[in-house]
Amino acid sequence: MTATVLVTGAGGVGKTTIAAAMGIKAARSGLRTLVVTVDPAKRLATALGVDDLGDEPQPHRDEPSLWAAMLDASASWRAVAERHADPEVATRLAENEFFQAASEHFPASQSYAAADQAVTFVQARAWDLVIVDTPPSGGGIDFFTAPSQMADLVGGRLLRWITGGPLPGRRFFYDRAARPMLRVADSLLGSDLLERVAEFLLDLRTTYDGVAQRGREIEGVMKDSSIVVVTTADPAPVREAVRFYRELPSIASTPAVVIFNRALPGSWMAAEVPADTSMEMKHLAEMWSTETQRQHDTREEFSARHAAHVATVPWSAKSPNSFDGLADLIESAIDVPWAELGVGPA
Amino acid sequence: MFDKRLVIVSGKGGVGKSAVSAGLSLLAQRQGMRVLAVEMGSPGGLSAHFSTGPLSFNPREIRPGLHAMHIVRSEALLEYLSLQLRLPGMGRFGPFARAFDALATAAPAVREIITIGKVLWEVKEDRWDLVVADAPPTGQIGSYLRAPLSISELVPTGRIRAQSEWMREALSDPATTQLALVNLPEELPTTETLETVEWLRSRQLVADPLVLTNRVLPELEDASTPRGPVGEMAMLHRSLWSEQQEWLERIDEDLQIPYMFGVFTPGEVAAHMSDELDAIR
Repeated sequence: MTATVLVTGAGGVGKTTIAAAMGIKAARSGLRTLVVTVDPAKRLATALGVDDLGDEPQPHRDEPSLWAAMLDASASWRAVAERHADPEVATRLAENEFFQAASEHFPASQSYAAADQAVTFVQARAWDLVIVDTPPSGGGIDFFTAPSQMADLVGGRLLRWITGGPLPGRRFFYDRAARPMLRVADSLLGSDLLERVAEFLLDLRTTYDGVAQRGREIEGVMKDSSIVVVTTADPAPVREAVRFYRELPSIASTPAVVIFNRALPGSWMAAEVPADTSMEMKHLAEMWSTETQRQHDTREEFSARHAAHVATVPWSAKSPNSFDGLADLIESAIDVPWAELGVGPA
Repeated sequence: MFDKRLVIVSGKGGVGKSAVSAGLSLLAQRQGMRVLAVEMGSPGGLSAHFSTGPLSFNPREIRPGLHAMHIVRSEALLEYLSLQLRLPGMGRFGPFARAFDALATAAPAVREIITIGKVLWEVKEDRWDLVVADAPPTGQIGSYLRAPLSISELVPTGRIRAQSEWMREALSDPATTQLALVNLPEELPTTETLETVEWLRSRQLVADPLVLTNRVLPELEDASTPRGPVGEMAMLHRSLWSEQQEWLERIDEDLQIPYMFGVFTPGEVAAHMSDELDAIR
């Protein structure tokens, strides 16, 4: 049985760092652990031993229980077409100029590809624990809604919108004289743009059964996963964290914990300033204790309002971009329900 | 930034784009300018900083002289069709708008041209001294700035193509448009900022962007380390400061916005941001 932890949160809060550090903790407790990440900072990638990795998991050179893989969302989206379409259609899709555009314009497709890839690792049953650092697009919620959105996309929702009716055959688009809407679109966009888009969508539709079935598998894995929300105490990421508590229970499950990263020690709130310190130092003390108080109040309010299990990871003076730095960072975390997450022995 | 007609604010996710956009709008409003603040991305990012509830497509006056709006693509599309392409009465064709919106999802540049087109239209209309656009993050900003060019490459004829010409001119005119990239003195944001600056230089779509580095800690000149928590603060501060310096050095010319200590709400953030921007101006 492979336990799965999905680490989510707004961009820039240290989500990838915490996912990596959790992986190190789990591996050191003897669990065969895979950390799946997207776009890590260079130093962090080096610490994880994944500087030059593709999306094939690789074992860490110093910690053989720890594996890491980096997702390439654009490449995996191509893999979706290859997996679910006839070879001929897959080739045509890959060559279609809208294929790339659709993966750029439809953020859910990148999240879908990431979720698809991560679930493949979970289903491989080669690890005790898979920790997924989810992509931050769409505030991070995209990752969880991607399976159903993707099924909608390839299932012809767009086509139905274009035609304003039931799903058409290819001929529909050649019969545009009878359809004022298509004529207007043509006059705006030039001769054959609509046709090219439609051909792309019709090809995409042939993948529907495969994508819908896979989407249900992905959603199943998500529902069985533990969700960790990472945030800082700053207003914008907290606003995103609130969304996870509001929206995730109906899509996947209630987050197991919200980790406030870059937390300052409680002893700073009413810090005693020695009498012989300079004005500059006194001012500094005032700034940091105000900041500590603000962080504390933000966490208290979050916990009370969303009935959330709140944990903290301290703001480390040493930037945790080495293997040992990450291990130290996660050992200094406070109130994380490790056993519940399946990280470390129960 | 204040002698331009349009400031487009972008940056990596989480760096404080919306806070800078809100602060800049408030500052311009305090100078007595007629300002329009435009929320281009997902709803709520900018409006939270004005504490006015959700914004709609019609600009609403939220402070004397300061209007704010959110770009709703379907409404922008209908307006685009009727005003710019002179197809009156398109509003009656609900299915058409939906169809076009679907097309815009799949076809490159169509969605972007509708959104950036609306922003540029507001600039052209002369109702505002300054338009501040809280734009999508750096990962997507290129496709917005490039949209007019993409359209002329993709669509050989048609009225949309003709419209794309003046948009290209407005974007690339340094007297009209200023791109501001919000950055943080950390590895990933700085790397992304530098890549974006490089990409923009090679494309010549807009004048050189202005980099605003946010959350910069002040230098601590006192080298002592007092006993207890204050000493711990001094040590954390120095260590964070020196790490920040490493990233600040990589940006040639930038403006720095100080770290805001103890600021709770997005509204407070915007008010502080406006003072800080005033100070560096």
